[in-house]
Amino acid sequence: MPGFDFSNHNRNAALHAQGVPLPKATSTGTTIVGCLFNGGVVIAADTRATSGPIVADKNCEKLHYIAPQIWCAGAGTAADTEFTTAIISSNLELHALSTGRKPRVVTCMTMLKQHLFRYQGYIGAYLVVAGVDPTGAHLFTVHAHGSTDKLPYVTMGSGSLAAMSVFETQWKNDLTKDAAVKLCSDAIMAGIFNDLGSGSNVDVAIITEEKATLLRNFITPNVRQPKERNYRFQRGTTAILNEKLITREEISKYITVHELEDDNVTAAAETMDVDQ
Amino acid sequence: MSLRFVPPAAHPTHTSPETSAPSAPGVHDTLRSRLSLTSTPASSSSKTPQVQLQSSHPLEARLVQWREMQDRLKMEMLRRQFGIAEPVKRGMELKITKEGEWRPVALGGASGVHRDILEGRDCEIGWEDVFVGNELREVPDFHSEMEARMKMNW
Repeated sequence: MPGFDFSNHNRNAALHAQGVPLPKATSTGTTIVGCLFNGGVVIAADTRATSGPIVADKNCEKLHYIAPQIWCAGAGTAADTEFTTAIISSNLELHALSTGRKPRVVTCMTMLKQHLFRYQGYIGAYLVVAGVDPTGAHLFTVHAHGSTDKLPYVTMGSGSLAAMSVFETQWKNDLTKDAAVKLCSDAIMAGIFNDLGSGSNVDVAIITEEKATLLRNFITPNVRQPKERNYRFQRGTTAILNEKLITREEISKYITVHELEDDNVTAAAETMDVDQ
Repeated sequence: MSLRFVPPAAHPTHTSPETSAPSAPGVHDTLRSRLSLTSTPASSSSKTPQVQLQSSHPLEARLVQWREMQDRLKMEMLRRQFGIAEPVKRGMELKITKEGEWRPVALGGASGVHRDILEGRDCEIGWEDVFVGNELREVPDFHSEMEARMKMNW
């Protein structure tokens, strides 16, 4: 059968019937926000990737490229957001080549919702789509089951409540670009500090009529402090009991000796051929 | 014919509690036990062929029938608007391109570009286009494929 492979489902059902417990559901954690401003749109995301209680990646990228002027922030299953945005990016490019026009954000949103509706929420991608096209700046959210929203400011993910509280208190109509970036990064910071599933840094993407700018690690509020003490011992801490010098001529009777290029290069038995 | 655009949910109409060994019906087979597929409901029109599913997963039946369902809806709407001649013509065109296009499987098989254009899918790509379902299947070599085509493999 083309497409997704379901051949393990019956095996899993049979195993479950024989008493093997189901795998535990893991909750995903993310804060992503988006906000329209005068002349464009901003989206922002935190950079923590979790797998259960473990922080899998402290500085992952949750802002995905779809088209030059359309970007997407993803919450939910990381692989699903990554590949859903990738395939919609390809489809949108094909569509743009076929029509010979710049892709529109509504087209992207419709493609995403139709794709996700087909999979009934089994593809766990919760997205914030933002972009500027000839009809203006647009901001949408797409849920995994295919429902969509169109709002002037949106939040998604487990930190969406913390982020939304910032928007609800501080958002004003007709924001300037800098005010919108400040508001979005404040909302992400609220998610970073108040939601356990979100953390690390703030990524921001600003899309205006002229260009899209991705500000990776726009704010880094959680820089790791260097340790004050370490376990490195001074040379000569351990006493030398006896010493024996072996010259290179002597040892090269038994083995081949290669000179290391410099001190930083570690010795390797066989080097891999790499295209330079 | 209906204007359904989403495949019907694959609720089982009946289940067989145990799958018996094919050589001895009614005898319990430990290896096949609990592996029986729940059957999909028989669709209203008898023309549509029943697809063999790999699993009883509710999503699989939906995905297997998805494209076919979209095509059938399109043909039904064309029939209502222009009469039966339109879907018949399109069906014939599809069949002609399908039979006229051949490329050895050893070289990756036919790309189906003409079919894609006729079906209106030439500017879209999906998982079905990438994972066509024969990744793990042994590809027949060119000579045995040619012999099968020319009916020389007696």
